[in-house]
Amino acid sequence: MQTVILENLSKTYPSGKQAVRQISLSLNSGEIYGFLGPNGAGKTTTVKLLTGMLTPSGGCCSVLGTDPALNPAKTHENMGVVTEHAQMYDNLTGFDNLIFYASVFGIASEEGKKRADTLLRQLGLWEAADQKLSAYSTGMRQRLSLARALIHRPKVLFLDEPTSGLDPESAQNVNHLIRELAENENVTIFLCTHQLRYAQEICTRFGLIENGRLLASGTLQELQAKTLPGALLKIRADHVPADLTLNRDTDGQYEIKIRSEEDIPAIIRRIVEAGGNIYSAAAKRPTLEDIYFSLTAQKKEEEV
Amino acid sequence: MNQAMTAVIKKDFKGITSNRRLFASLLIVPLALMIILPSIFIFMIHFIPDDPDVQKLLDLIPRLDPSVSIELTVAGLIVNYILPVFFLIIPIMAASIMAASSFVGEKEKHTLETLLYSPLSAGQIFRAKVMASFLLSMTVSMISFLAMFAVVETEVFFLMGSLLLPDINWLIVLLLLSPSVSLIAITLIVRGSAKAQSVEESQQSAVFLIIPVLLLIVGQFSGVMLLNVWILLGLSILCAAAAWLLMQRALGKFTYEMLLR
Repeated sequence: MQTVILENLSKTYPSGKQAVRQISLSLNSGEIYGFLGPNGAGKTTTVKLLTGMLTPSGGCCSVLGTDPALNPAKTHENMGVVTEHAQMYDNLTGFDNLIFYASVFGIASEEGKKRADTLLRQLGLWEAADQKLSAYSTGMRQRLSLARALIHRPKVLFLDEPTSGLDPESAQNVNHLIRELAENENVTIFLCTHQLRYAQEICTRFGLIENGRLLASGTLQELQAKTLPGALLKIRADHVPADLTLNRDTDGQYEIKIRSEEDIPAIIRRIVEAGGNIYSAAAKRPTLEDIYFSLTAQKKEEEV
Repeated sequence: MNQAMTAVIKKDFKGITSNRRLFASLLIVPLALMIILPSIFIFMIHFIPDDPDVQKLLDLIPRLDPSVSIELTVAGLIVNYILPVFFLIIPIMAASIMAASSFVGEKEKHTLETLLYSPLSAGQIFRAKVMASFLLSMTVSMISFLAMFAVVETEVFFLMGSLLLPDINWLIVLLLLSPSVSLIAITLIVRGSAKAQSVEESQQSAVFLIIPVLLLIVGQFSGVMLLNVWILLGLSILCAAAAWLLMQRALGKFTYEMLLR
């Protein structure tokens, strides 16, 4: 089921800045969509458009069948949002903050308490539940924000840099929770980040954005096939036949570009038959980072 | 009024009472205006020196009922003509403290955006916040009035041996003028809060709202324009109409985009 749909969505600020330019894409339920791009690429503006905080200057979008620009209050009922600018009250405890947001979402008091309790435990904040928020560290606030966004069991979750400021252990914790939500509860997750390696680890599909434009969208395999087909074979060997055109990288390993994995046996056979010794061989597929840089480089060339 | 709006109102109240600085400023003004100032007036009247010049001045005061002592007449004038105007400062002050902290304060601390992600519409959030400011302003005003009344009556009774009845002026001020004045203050602050970036900035501009009240005070003391029931009633209706108009206009302008700017 398609839960989030963007059709030629554009936003031009009154200052004349075109933050989002004609983005079209759609998300399915249970999907973790990585919306990737450098700072200022238009990720946050897109989230604000999808959550109804901004009205689009062109195109339209819908979340669970409702247009957030026309009926923001209704879209918010099934939507959770974590952004850097959505903070909570310093004068309340972590627990009381969650209870407050539970009642704002119309959850009955007893159920709200239970839900807050579960979420605080899941996110490792149980011990700090009765501390005022002013005593929380950045990482704890970040995790409490996630708990707050989940308090009403949303069907769509917007996360803007959810693991920035988290230590590795909490980040792992949060990632585990995000994956579980997508897999078990079929929640659609729209995750904005500029950390490409992190995105590759957790997301199932990606959209790469720069200067408000969507450069490419798809799964890692699709993006690899589209932008950087093939792979790089790295071989650690000696007595390599001279007629095999191999480059040596900085570690002294041999590198060769291949079209597909089918090419590997032939190359290895040739080295072995020529009397070479192979210590290791690995095919390296382009990472999200490689794809991103190749796409932005292409874009620059086109512009020149 | 639904559960969510009630939760926002409760939270706003808690935000004021748990902030010592705000709560203190909420207490100090009523204490000064409604307890200390009237007491000074009453004691001054009682301990007037028997100077012939002062006596001449006192003789100028109109005495409706010659059987009432001059002391009690002056005390009555102060309580029923001077204090109601001072009293108007209280709803303005209380409303501005609350409205400034609840709109600009939330914006400043980045909690407003979180609230906007709730299933409350922008209009409902606006109404909840106005309601919180209005309720606080009315509560503080009522408590101040009752405290003032208790203190003044006790002082008058022990010093002058009789009780003073507040006249109809007070009824108009309490039930009509102060609610509408506090609504005007709230709406103006909310409108300004779209532009203001800090609570201090917002509170500073709220101070200007007190200027018309100061003019009234000057008018009352000098006798340029002595407020009688009819003037007071007219003023109240004018203020109520202004409050309603301002509120409608602010409600129309209240959108997410304007708030997050």
